[in-house]
Amino acid sequence: MTDVITVDLVDREGGVREALDEGRGATRAQLFRRAIVGGGTFFAGGMLIGGLPKLALGAPSASQDVEILNFALLLEYLESEFYIEAVSKNTIGGETLAFAKVVRDHENAHVAALKSALGSKARSKPQFDFKDTTSDPDKFRATSIALEDTGVAAYNGQGPRLTKATLAVAATIVSVEARHAAWIRRITGKPGYGGAAANYPAPAVLDPSLTKAQVEDAVGKTGFIKG
Amino acid sequence: MSIHQENTHVSHLTLDAVDSDGAIRESLDAVQGDTRARFLAKAGLFGGGAFGGAALLGLTAEGASAATAKSDVAILNFALTLEYLEAAFYTEAEQMLDSSGELALFNKVVAAHERAHVSALKGVLGRKAVKKPKFNFHGTTESEAKFRATAQVLEDTGVKAYKGQAPLIKSNAILEAALAIHAVEARHASWIRDLNGAPPAPTAFDKPLSKSAVLAAVAKTKFIVSPAKKKTARRRTTGATSPNFTG
Amino acid sequence: MTVARVGTLVRPGALAAVLGALLGPAAGVPAAHAAAGPFQLSEPGKLSRWAFVERTTVARAEPRRSARAVARLATLTPERTQNLVVPLERVERRGRLWLRVRLPVLPNGTTGWVPREHVGTYHEVRTHLIVDTSKRTARLVRAGRTVFRARVGVGRRRWPTPHGEFFIRNRLRGFQDATYGPLAFGTNARSAVLTDWPGGGFIGLHGTNQPRLIPGRVSHGCIRMRNTDILRLDRKMPIGTPLTVR
Repeated sequence: MTDVITVDLVDREGGVREALDEGRGATRAQLFRRAIVGGGTFFAGGMLIGGLPKLALGAPSASQDVEILNFALLLEYLESEFYIEAVSKNTIGGETLAFAKVVRDHENAHVAALKSALGSKARSKPQFDFKDTTSDPDKFRATSIALEDTGVAAYNGQGPRLTKATLAVAATIVSVEARHAAWIRRITGKPGYGGAAANYPAPAVLDPSLTKAQVEDAVGKTGFIKG
Repeated sequence: MSIHQENTHVSHLTLDAVDSDGAIRESLDAVQGDTRARFLAKAGLFGGGAFGGAALLGLTAEGASAATAKSDVAILNFALTLEYLEAAFYTEAEQMLDSSGELALFNKVVAAHERAHVSALKGVLGRKAVKKPKFNFHGTTESEAKFRATAQVLEDTGVKAYKGQAPLIKSNAILEAALAIHAVEARHASWIRDLNGAPPAPTAFDKPLSKSAVLAAVAKTKFIVSPAKKKTARRRTTGATSPNFTG
Repeated sequence: MTVARVGTLVRPGALAAVLGALLGPAAGVPAAHAAAGPFQLSEPGKLSRWAFVERTTVARAEPRRSARAVARLATLTPERTQNLVVPLERVERRGRLWLRVRLPVLPNGTTGWVPREHVGTYHEVRTHLIVDTSKRTARLVRAGRTVFRARVGVGRRRWPTPHGEFFIRNRLRGFQDATYGPLAFGTNARSAVLTDWPGGGFIGLHGTNQPRLIPGRVSHGCIRMRNTDILRLDRKMPIGTPLTVR
């Protein structure tokens, strides 16, 4: 169980840590360049920045939609329970609490919509253990940023695999996750964002995608899902 | 070592201290330089132009093929027109708006993003890219209140526009790029709404807008000036009457 | 003959209505912080701006609709070219943008405030024409460098070329009057003494059929150049260029 979600969430090969260690003295420009030209991803302050990964795409189909929507439902369950718990524990306070309340309601609506679309094929909700990420304000904010940013990347990764009708529905959700991400980033970073573009509400020119495997791996590493 | 999200509060935001655009631009140059060599080997994809733009969107030679569907070209040009408008609006405001603090930072960052989107879309379209229109922003780049309101509308509308087009895109590579831009516009919208004191995410689901609805909304602003009707400035300021000066 | 054109304008109220329709649920936009001071738009020699007069308007002593009217600005100059203004500063008062512009009225140097929406988009110029009446020289400066120099004829002591800050507002050519040479530039400067000159006594910058009088104090106020010089200047000086006479 890590102290801070961000780096460990996606740093499978330790490539990011390596870049950061080398990076003592490297300018941010140099780190970006290494990451993007090297084809890797660079993670700073909760946001994945990098080139778009080549996505392996099977032809869209109704059954594939079910698989993908259940994947999305898992993420929405996770987000929804995370915000429900944070609001009920009621220790984060201020703007962060106001944010959590609104986003909780949105994620609940997303869960409801996906369950409705999946009908009897909807997966069950797993058990979660968020430890103190739902009570400690700084950890809550860092986790929220990572969850929202990753949610956007997950939806964007699956978009091309969906049938067009399902894509239209997913598109109405992904932009709301992006709004959430920008919002909590602003709460966390304003007014100066620590002087780093990586901390901005909109940290990059393009929002990248993640494959299902990458997301599952990242989520798995958090230890949030218990069963 | 871990990256800790610190709540460092900077008492005076100095734009010079934030080299966000420089860092991104440098790295993009590296990508473009690398892939340009490969593209030159397979010349004639879109008949010249900035291959770098296509590379920015992660489109390889396979993605940005000459066999791109006509409907996809039309969608890309629709997106390009909106990005031209946003880029011109924010770029003009960077010069003409008397703003400071986070609003000025928002302006600078978003201007850079929209210019990059223009460059990327032009790169993919090559010779098929529509030309940049002439604009008149009617004072909305010069008044803080008007800028705030206009930016909010432009970003929200941009989100709806991309969302409306996404299901119509045939190429997976182009769809991926459109979704990547769509999410960034949503972040912009959230940011300026928050700056304006409006709800950053007003609803649980964002609605799409059709292309015709978006174009109608844009036409109402009268931001796009029809080029055909205007004579050049030189012609309009040159006359042929005998001077009646004091001599 | 240039036809008067009134561009389509969006008045602040109309724009707000359009934006409101697009916005959907009412979004409160906070009132702008009180502006620090006027926003500078023109600095001769560095970056100066001009804009077409899109509709007949009134320039006022203050940026207020109820302020005293100083001058009327038509969409056409007396020479029937599209009229322009050089905005020096901009302020926002009660949600309206106003520009302080140089006016073509006496006393020379008079400025007034016009509503932003009555003029068009800004054009930029980086050139600056400087005329020295005692040295009888004209030079065009761009980015700190002199890119054109010529000797000039200026007004005689009875009809002096006025000193001050002005701008070039049009170009005339193809006319049949050799006393002005092949080309004449109009300015917003007026003779302070020839006040009942037909047409208002505007100061021009033009060629001549008496080149041997240049340099010298020779005219009724206009700035004269040899014909080759005025043609050379035309290639380098865009309309809207600020003119300083000292």
